[in-house]
Amino acid sequence: MTQSAISAEDLCKRYGKKIALADFRVDIPRGTVTAILGPNGAGKSTFMRMITGMVRPDRGTVTVLGRKPSWKTNASIAYLPDRARWFGGHTVRQAVEWGAKLLPGFQTDRAWELIDMLGLGADQEVAGMSKGQEARLMLAVCLARDVPLLVLDEPFSGIDMLSREKIVAALIDSFSERSQTVLISTHEIAETESLFDYAVFFAEGRNALSGDVEELRARRGSVQDIYRQLYG
Amino acid sequence: MNEIRIGGLRFSLDLSQPLYEQVLEQVRSSIAKGEIALGEKIPSVREMAQALKINPNTVMRAYQELERERLTETRRGQGTFITTDAARVQEIRNKLAEQAVEQFLAKMESLGFGLKDIESMIRAKGGVSP
Repeated sequence: MTQSAISAEDLCKRYGKKIALADFRVDIPRGTVTAILGPNGAGKSTFMRMITGMVRPDRGTVTVLGRKPSWKTNASIAYLPDRARWFGGHTVRQAVEWGAKLLPGFQTDRAWELIDMLGLGADQEVAGMSKGQEARLMLAVCLARDVPLLVLDEPFSGIDMLSREKIVAALIDSFSERSQTVLISTHEIAETESLFDYAVFFAEGRNALSGDVEELRARRGSVQDIYRQLYG
Repeated sequence: MNEIRIGGLRFSLDLSQPLYEQVLEQVRSSIAKGEIALGEKIPSVREMAQALKINPNTVMRAYQELERERLTETRRGQGTFITTDAARVQEIRNKLAEQAVEQFLAKMESLGFGLKDIESMIRAKGGVSP
């Protein structure tokens, strides 16, 4: 039996009249690189925020690494929120020092390796960075953490092609380096689908389809094809 | 589908089919065709995953199957190498040839041709010595 990294039972969440999650269920196996897919407003970010305890469900339960989300489980999660800007007035070096001081499992050597791989330098000021460079820095800080769960909410969105390629390369390097469960939400399916072992398709707050990506390919075609079948 | 070349191996991956099988089949066929020599080192899992831009788990699974088929061997601390056993490679070539013939025959059958027709067509192409 495969152990779940994350399991959700009948999750419901509303924001006023807007339904974010409706009886959402899923079991995400441990050690997989999992795609969190679906159109905007389908519930992806709400689900990812629930994993880190930032949003509580109205009903239902979510279990993360065998526990309820809390500050304790959060020590085991490297989370990259969507629309994050962490290091306003910092240099890259200060961002790394900040990570080393505050983030559980942070490995400074690994952070510098990743920063180098991602084409950034220690003295660069974050304030003067392009969006793509800043995204690469935040990703490096997340990937430098030796924690069992990595949650990346739209790490590719609005970022230039070369930055995306560098991020993909850093992710593959990271997957080779250590065995983590990784959740990535993205709309850049064509470029990223070959990275995934597992996929969850969200539709109007529900789990429209989830499963092993290689099995889905054998049954229904590429992740892109399935996306078109489900939402087209 | 772009062709990707890495260390004597050639790949073109189709995302609508399982990737594991494609990596496995394409390495196997590179060995059978002699595109990569006996005893030659193949890229590490990490290098292969980077070159193909795929999940290292997928490469790992394909490598494990190649090793199980005795087409490759892993030497501790040195990496993974194509087998030096020429007879084993010949076995795989024969197997791939058999599969190709089966596919061909199945296609001809579906078009309504029998063995006799096929034989004379191959002869007409000069493909078989009398």
